[in-house]
Amino acid sequence: MSRHVGIVGIGQTHHARRRTDVSQAGLVREAVDRALADAKLTIDDIDSIVIATGPVLFAAVNMPEKWVVDACGGRLKPVVRVTSGGGTGLAGALAGYYQIAGGQHERVLVVAYDKLSEGNLQYSISTLYDPFWGREFAVGIMGFSAAYWRARMDVLGHTEEAAAMVSVKNHKNALKNPYAHVKKVITVDDVMKSRPLAWPIKLLDVPPISDGAAAIVLSSEKMAAKSTDRPAWIRGMGYFCEADNAASRSMLVSEPLALAARRVYRAAGITDPRRQFDVVEVQEPYTCFELSYYESLGLCAPGEAAELIASGATEIDGDIPVNPSGGCMGANPIGATGLIRLIEAAAQVMGKAGDHQIPNAKLALAQSGGGWANLRGVAVLSA
Amino acid sequence: MLQAPDTYPIDRPPLKSTISMAYTLTPGRAAGTFMVETGKRRFVGSRCVSSGLVCVPAQDFCPRTGGADIELVVAPEAGTLTGFTQTAAGILATIRIDGADFDFVHKIVDSSLVDLKIGARVQAVWADASTQSILDISGFQLAPNAPIGKIAPLSDPADPLPMKPYPLDLHYEHAFGPFYGRLFDEIGSRHRIMGVRSTSGEGVLIPPREFDDISFTRTGTWVTLPDTGTVSAMSVIHLEFRGQKEPPPYIYAEIQLDGAVTRLIHSIKGIDMSRASELVKPGTRVRAVWSTSRTGSLSDISHFEPIPELNSANATDM
Repeated sequence: MSRHVGIVGIGQTHHARRRTDVSQAGLVREAVDRALADAKLTIDDIDSIVIATGPVLFAAVNMPEKWVVDACGGRLKPVVRVTSGGGTGLAGALAGYYQIAGGQHERVLVVAYDKLSEGNLQYSISTLYDPFWGREFAVGIMGFSAAYWRARMDVLGHTEEAAAMVSVKNHKNALKNPYAHVKKVITVDDVMKSRPLAWPIKLLDVPPISDGAAAIVLSSEKMAAKSTDRPAWIRGMGYFCEADNAASRSMLVSEPLALAARRVYRAAGITDPRRQFDVVEVQEPYTCFELSYYESLGLCAPGEAAELIASGATEIDGDIPVNPSGGCMGANPIGATGLIRLIEAAAQVMGKAGDHQIPNAKLALAQSGGGWANLRGVAVLSA
Repeated sequence: MLQAPDTYPIDRPPLKSTISMAYTLTPGRAAGTFMVETGKRRFVGSRCVSSGLVCVPAQDFCPRTGGADIELVVAPEAGTLTGFTQTAAGILATIRIDGADFDFVHKIVDSSLVDLKIGARVQAVWADASTQSILDISGFQLAPNAPIGKIAPLSDPADPLPMKPYPLDLHYEHAFGPFYGRLFDEIGSRHRIMGVRSTSGEGVLIPPREFDDISFTRTGTWVTLPDTGTVSAMSVIHLEFRGQKEPPPYIYAEIQLDGAVTRLIHSIKGIDMSRASELVKPGTRVRAVWSTSRTGSLSDISHFEPIPELNSANATDM
């Protein structure tokens, strides 16, 4: 029987297109200081540290955990680095969760970051392709993502207009998020008329490239009270994978996400996600993914995502708000993004989400993922 | 019982691949100040106020306590040798600058290994020109009479360097192995695309592989695939980016060759690109157009193009 684990401290940087005042290590320190202060702890109270970053080519520093260990207070503590593409932040949190749930540690600090301004993002993502088989045609993850969105249009009705509504909603929500750096009011028409990058993906379907870090303090039930009387309890968490180029792989729906959701919902007692969740945070690398996640997460039936966004149900004042933080549209430091989604979900059930707080949020869902849509995870948090 | 694949080692030289990244790194306050100050021939360290420990060159965080309460200082240019080794690039040494609590690595110049001893006094040799890096010091030389220096306050520190270009070329050589070896041998020598049967025998896996991803059992015999297939997904690329192989716009397509159960990524051309999104869709039938080159890579297929007679819905458009 695993032990209960709660999130007792959260922190993130004020994300930016480029931070020229701090190194990667300095960025990490800001998030760590904020998470520790939020948990009313010092680094001495931390038993173990998980450092999560995106693919190493993003940042030119191989094995960055050895560099940032001073900055995150890791000296002479257990430190591991976790990396899993876009899902890195959630994968890092999962590694920390296991350490406490399994009884190894009482408090674990998880810090995730990327300083994307320092590299060449799409080019380095293209190196995820097989060097023999497709890399010469790679357009980062964008060409692939656009191609399967195009396929979902025909089968699931995920129209350009529906995706544009996701962009409008998330941009609007980001206006209320003090950590977001893209703050602009846009319309569906603006999105539709924005420059095509990898059609159907257009400029305003795409989140920014950001520098940013995020950190959480995870605690056992026994030690949680020192930090807060209202932790965000982790009711279930999972991260699933499918083969990259296996026979008859469906790219239209994310099977690993549906699997992760099923398993975690069962653990958390979720039978009707649309009604039970008060708030949802998803990691949308492009607007089209948010539509797909509505379906894989069971917020609506397959083929109904366009209707769901059009109904206004996922707006901040809707019955199932999705990304009240603005999601990736406000900031997208990829290695940190999965952890930021978890932090935003935790902030909601801890009642400290500020201007984008959903009133009385008690049960929250966070989603994150990486790879060719083949690594997908979810977490369920409760007050 | 499935027949074992008739795979044989192919004597192909490895695939050479270079990843060229144009990084721009931000050093942060301490290292960024250090880099600018070396141009003024000042050697900047950091003192952590709470721990009292001094680090040269300067760091944003105390290496012992992680303390961030850092004040920048001017370090002496002399110190003591704490370790050394001969490398192809010369003698590398760990050096403890006078007044510092931590060592750092630099080169030893104008000396041979036999002259060096742990504890020997050394002194920095400045390079003629500044590159705003630690190489503004070209190395350290033996200086038996160098006086013991002191850490001093840093007056009028320069603004830290906000970013430094850091181009990185990474050269790789990827081995083909027997399955990819035969695949690209066939493509290059015969313009023939070959996969292997999946274990269930229901379709062809391409690229060929030793194990079926689903059942994790050995795959079956080699099969020649036709150079026709169906578009499963496509997008029209307008984005320009580093490392791009052809100028946009072009179509990025994931194509399922007839008989295959996995995807092949390529580009689609031979159409009016201004109507690309109407003319090519999921379901569009396409055929490979072979290039005249025979390099043994996917680029031996120049591109795919729609097969007009098989795209009935689009037939009048072609």
